Amino acid sequence: MQLKPQTRFLLRGSTLLITFLVLWWFVLRAPMLSLLRGGIEMLGGDVAGETAAGDWTMRVPLEGVIPATQGRAAQQVRSVEFDIARADVNAFTFSLPVFWAIMLAIPGLRRSVRPLAIGTALVAALELAMMFLYLQIVAHNNAAQLGVPQGAGAKWLLHFGEYLVVTVIPYAAPFLIAIWLHRDLRGQIFRASGEAKA
Amino acid sequence: MRPARFALIFGVSFLAGIGLLLTPPVQSVDTAFSRALVKVSHGLIGACGGHATRTGAIMRAPSGFAVEMRDGCNAVNVTLLLWSALLAFPAPWKMKVFGMAAGSIIIQAVNIVRFISLFYLGQYSMTWFDFAHGYLWETLLILDTLVVFWLWVNRVSRSTPVPNAA
Repeated sequence: MQLKPQTRFLLRGSTLLITFLVLWWFVLRAPMLSLLRGGIEMLGGDVAGETAAGDWTMRVPLEGVIPATQGRAAQQVRSVEFDIARADVNAFTFSLPVFWAIMLAIPGLRRSVRPLAIGTALVAALELAMMFLYLQIVAHNNAAQLGVPQGAGAKWLLHFGEYLVVTVIPYAAPFLIAIWLHRDLRGQIFRASGEAKA
Repeated sequence: MRPARFALIFGVSFLAGIGLLLTPPVQSVDTAFSRALVKVSHGLIGACGGHATRTGAIMRAPSGFAVEMRDGCNAVNVTLLLWSALLAFPAPWKMKVFGMAAGSIIIQAVNIVRFISLFYLGQYSMTWFDFAHGYLWETLLILDTLVVFWLWVNRVSRSTPVPNAA
């Protein structure tokens, strides 16, 4: 029985996603977290320590002033220190196995090698950038809790940014990058359009 | 299709959709929608002979394990991803509306299967629950969404002539 290309892609993609994510969960997660930490430190991020539970203690430079109140003088804030749960950091390492699964679900392995290599570098860079963005968002939220004033617009923007960085980009980016980089996949999906038929 | 135009409309509509989703009035609709999905899931479990109790968006097993459908678990963000792609793709409005309706139904059907499976998985192992909830099901849902879009584009091409085709 001849399956539709969409059905084949769905079946191959689902199988590979399960395989790669299980592999990531049990084997790759720890080394990828180490690589992420190395990347953060190489780019000037400050991982101040790690708790027994594996949570990261981060120190993020942030300039702000906690206004004076009755009986307390104004305080200058130069950096914020906080812990990030290991489970939260995981979100910045799992896009890579998702990207690999999608790329390998496309028939024709030889044509996938180049986009696979370029995409791996892109997704890794994006994960690192998202991690830095997330650290900034958490640092600003912590500063606001300490009493550094924060406007309603800034508050909403931080909420919007956090939603994108944590809930949307790590999941959607591997798919979008795969479609963007892999000509065959893009061609198959958009074959119906003028671009492919002209 | 012009790729730059598609990317621009897709990106702008998706970001606008997420921005709108996070506004308080839409959040209350979103919460009500989550409750409705849990109600359907609860009904399905009951119809299949399973046991669970429901309070709002929380479903509880007789063992005490409970799972809540929160913002981000109701697949609204994935639906927005599909809608943005449908809006960005050049096709008649009738086809776009059809794609949005049919695609949303498929996504929500898969999401209900996801929620029910997580409800049972959580009673078996919290480690597997965390893995399936946080990573596996979410990516499978996006893969389904991509395939739904792909099928829709094929349908559009069959039903509408492409102007610059030979």
